[in-house]
Amino acid sequence: MKLSVQTKAFAMLLSVGLVAGCSSTGDTMEDGTYGSDVAAIDQDGGSTVYGGADGDGVSSSRLSEEERQAARQQAEQQALRNITTFYFDFDTSEIKQEARDVLVAHAQFLANNPRQNVRLEGHADERGTKEYNLALGERRANAVQRFLIVNGASRGQIETVSYGEEKPAVRGSSESAWAQNRRVELVFK
Amino acid sequence: MKGHERETISTDTAPLKSPVVMSVALHLLIVGIALAGWSWTSPISEPEPRTISARLVSPEPRPSPVVDEQDQRDREQERRQQQEREHQQQEAERRRQQEEQARREAERQAQEQARQREEERKRQEAQARERAEQQAREQEAARQRAEAEAKERERQRAEEERRRQEEAKRKAEEEKRRQEERRRQEEAERKRQEEAARQEAERKRQEAERRLREQQLEALAEESRREREAEARRQQEAAAARAREAQMLSESEKYQALIRERLSQAWYPPSSATEDMSARVQITLLPTGELVNARLVSSSGNTAFDNSALGAVRSLSRYPIPSDRDTFERYFRQFTIEFNPQRLR
Amino acid sequence: MNAHDSHRQGFSFTTALAALVVLMLLASQARAELLIRITEGADSAIPIAVVPFAESGAMPAGDRVSSIVQADLTMSGEFRPLEPSRMLSLPSQRSEVYFRDWRLLGQRYVLVGQLTRSGDRIEARYELFDVNREERILGETAGAPASNVRTLAHHISDRVYEAITGDPGVFSTKLAYVTVTGDGDNARYRLHVSDVDGKRSRIRLESREPILSPAWSPDGKQLAYVSFETGKPVVFTHELASGERKKVADFPGLNSAPAWSPDGKSMLLTLSKDGNAEIYRLDIASGNLTRMTNHWAIDTEGAWDHTGRGIYFTSDRSGGPQIYHMERAGAEPRRITFGSRYNARPRPDGKGEYVYYVHQRDRAFHIARTNLKNGEESVITRTESDESPSVSPNGRLLIYATQQNGTSVLTVVSANGGAAYSLPASDGDVREPAWGPIVR
Repeated sequence: MKLSVQTKAFAMLLSVGLVAGCSSTGDTMEDGTYGSDVAAIDQDGGSTVYGGADGDGVSSSRLSEEERQAARQQAEQQALRNITTFYFDFDTSEIKQEARDVLVAHAQFLANNPRQNVRLEGHADERGTKEYNLALGERRANAVQRFLIVNGASRGQIETVSYGEEKPAVRGSSESAWAQNRRVELVFK
Repeated sequence: MKGHERETISTDTAPLKSPVVMSVALHLLIVGIALAGWSWTSPISEPEPRTISARLVSPEPRPSPVVDEQDQRDREQERRQQQEREHQQQEAERRRQQEEQARREAERQAQEQARQREEERKRQEAQARERAEQQAREQEAARQRAEAEAKERERQRAEEERRRQEEAKRKAEEEKRRQEERRRQEEAERKRQEEAARQEAERKRQEAERRLREQQLEALAEESRREREAEARRQQEAAAARAREAQMLSESEKYQALIRERLSQAWYPPSSATEDMSARVQITLLPTGELVNARLVSSSGNTAFDNSALGAVRSLSRYPIPSDRDTFERYFRQFTIEFNPQRLR
Repeated sequence: MNAHDSHRQGFSFTTALAALVVLMLLASQARAELLIRITEGADSAIPIAVVPFAESGAMPAGDRVSSIVQADLTMSGEFRPLEPSRMLSLPSQRSEVYFRDWRLLGQRYVLVGQLTRSGDRIEARYELFDVNREERILGETAGAPASNVRTLAHHISDRVYEAITGDPGVFSTKLAYVTVTGDGDNARYRLHVSDVDGKRSRIRLESREPILSPAWSPDGKQLAYVSFETGKPVVFTHELASGERKKVADFPGLNSAPAWSPDGKSMLLTLSKDGNAEIYRLDIASGNLTRMTNHWAIDTEGAWDHTGRGIYFTSDRSGGPQIYHMERAGAEPRRITFGSRYNARPRPDGKGEYVYYVHQRDRAFHIARTNLKNGEESVITRTESDESPSVSPNGRLLIYATQQNGTSVLTVVSANGGAAYSLPASDGDVREPAWGPIVR
């Protein structure tokens, strides 16, 4: 199980990194992460794990086991949280499967750190109209916000803003530039 | 009927007989030819041996011994003398025969002369008798003639007298009849003339009547002819007018299209124009195609639009118009142009 | 008496009959007269000769008035001014105009004028002639400070345009647009206001953060726009004369797409304060908001129709962005565009005839318009990556942003796509043009 979580996290890192470069490759990675992804959500969804961390009187032997597990998870989560940019397809605000574990990690982090605020910056590529793209960027940011809230973050920690097509990550009018510009960035303050 | 039948039969049987006839004729012909051929050949073949024998005899001289020339000459002379003697003998014979013939001829002539003298004497005797008889007949005839003549003269005299009297009477009658005739003729002439005059008058009257009638008929005929002609002319003119009209129309359509094209190129509908705007400009042209006058007869309600229409109309320095004067007068002397955009830019 | 009456009646009857016959004859004659219908005009622009104006007194340096007028008329796409070098004479008043000469040159109109300097002012006396009708259709005087000869020239252009086309000219109107230089932390966003030909540009706002969607107030005195200067999109109004600015919408989420109502009293805005992008009407005086749309989809880019009651807007409620029209607040929106999967940012022509918008076709973005009477759609730009259409107040011209050699430039086209005219290039990207109203 531990091993599985570790390999999973590693795979996720690889996968997300690749997707950032080229969103259409990495099918095998996606398959590999998909099965464990559901398990991760189940595990995380039981906020009891962290609820348990609040200390309601549990056996020491088990506690140490849990502590070790939590320490490992924290390390893995930390690695996942290095990823703060999430990409979208043209004219959509659907969170891609490979982004979910990372966002879950961010949600857990926010949940664990209630005073931590985050700003979600939604962007669109240059195609289409500026105002529509502004709304589209906002919708992407809102989609991420909902996901984070569902996964433990509280609304008060999150601020969203859309820049539409005004602040591209990459200059240029190519498919790859557009793919890198359709994004939501998490900015922690 | 029977004969007829027989005839028919005979004609029918004729072809049956003809082979027989022909066969007989053929045999006869063959026999004839054979005879002819035979009769031809026999005279030729007959004298042939004779001719040959004659030849055989004559060129076969008796073998003569070789003699010297003197001897040959003597013998030649001898032979010539011999020939001379023979010839003299023959001549004497011939002369004796001639003398005999002459003597017989003289004898015959003496007999002939005697017979002729006898005949001459008989003929002269007959003639003398004939002449005496003739004289007697003539004397009798003369006497009778004189007698007849006297009677004739008498009769002629009487006849003459009677003829003279008859002649006088005839002449008097004739005169009377001639006078009668003349009078009658004169009467007839008068009557004829009267009749002629009457007839002439009648003829003239009839003629006048006829002429009048004819004139009336002619007038009628003339009138109807004229009417017919006029009608034909009218129809012709109508047809021509129709044809002309059609021609003018097609001609006019051609130029309408040209004018439409030129004006479309010359018209700049203002940006404020809408598809329901319409302005009408009436224009008057010279037969040269030059514009005399352009008048806005119906406004679009938009000054810029109206002005664009007027400007377009006036921009053509010369309108394309038909060279045919009638078509020009009929359609293009004065016409109206409607500006009504259907497709705005 | 009776007999007399009947006689009179009979007489009047025959008179009436005769009159009728005459009328019928006249009618038949009128019918017989040829009528030729012209349903199409020339495909080319109107030839006009703008004769260089005679000048008396010192004139300011720079472009001459007649050159500016000539350029204005050219930009309209509706005129084809004659090169002054081809003119046979340079008249400056009526007595010097020989119509025959101008007709020979194929000109339809001739503009002549004189400029006189008096003190700080320049006075123009100008006359416009219809060459074919040999008539003066305009004869006016106008004056302006010597420093504002462009204002004078644009005014003359407007007068000439209106005299000929019947539509008001737009040469004295203003343009607002945004330029961007640099990127990242060095990015500078600048809001400009210029003449419609791009000249006399002035920066009205400069920011490190994006400036979007400038919109003119109907009186031409204010601009509304979206500025990110506070880190998020906020709608400001900006009085040009004083430079005074007001935040008119600073709600959580989006505050964008301002559009002034024709009466200038309210403004359409796109706000996402209630969850997702919806269109609201803001009463400027009271600050009251009225929600116009209510749908889970994106509703944005509201624009008033010519009635001032209904609105056009973009919504992706069908799956992708399309143009909708709503007759009034709360009415059922009617979809206008069907031609492709992406149609956005409607800009009605103010006459109710056409609506213009960004239209994607074969992966390229063009400006298209839909005929509101028959629903017919036509693409009117030949360029690609076209954005931000803005219709001139007379509905005859359209300005939009497009890509040229990797940077964004502004292009003016006639509303039917006929003539195209690129505005002079400036530093960096030029975007978000907004055509100002006609100010009397």
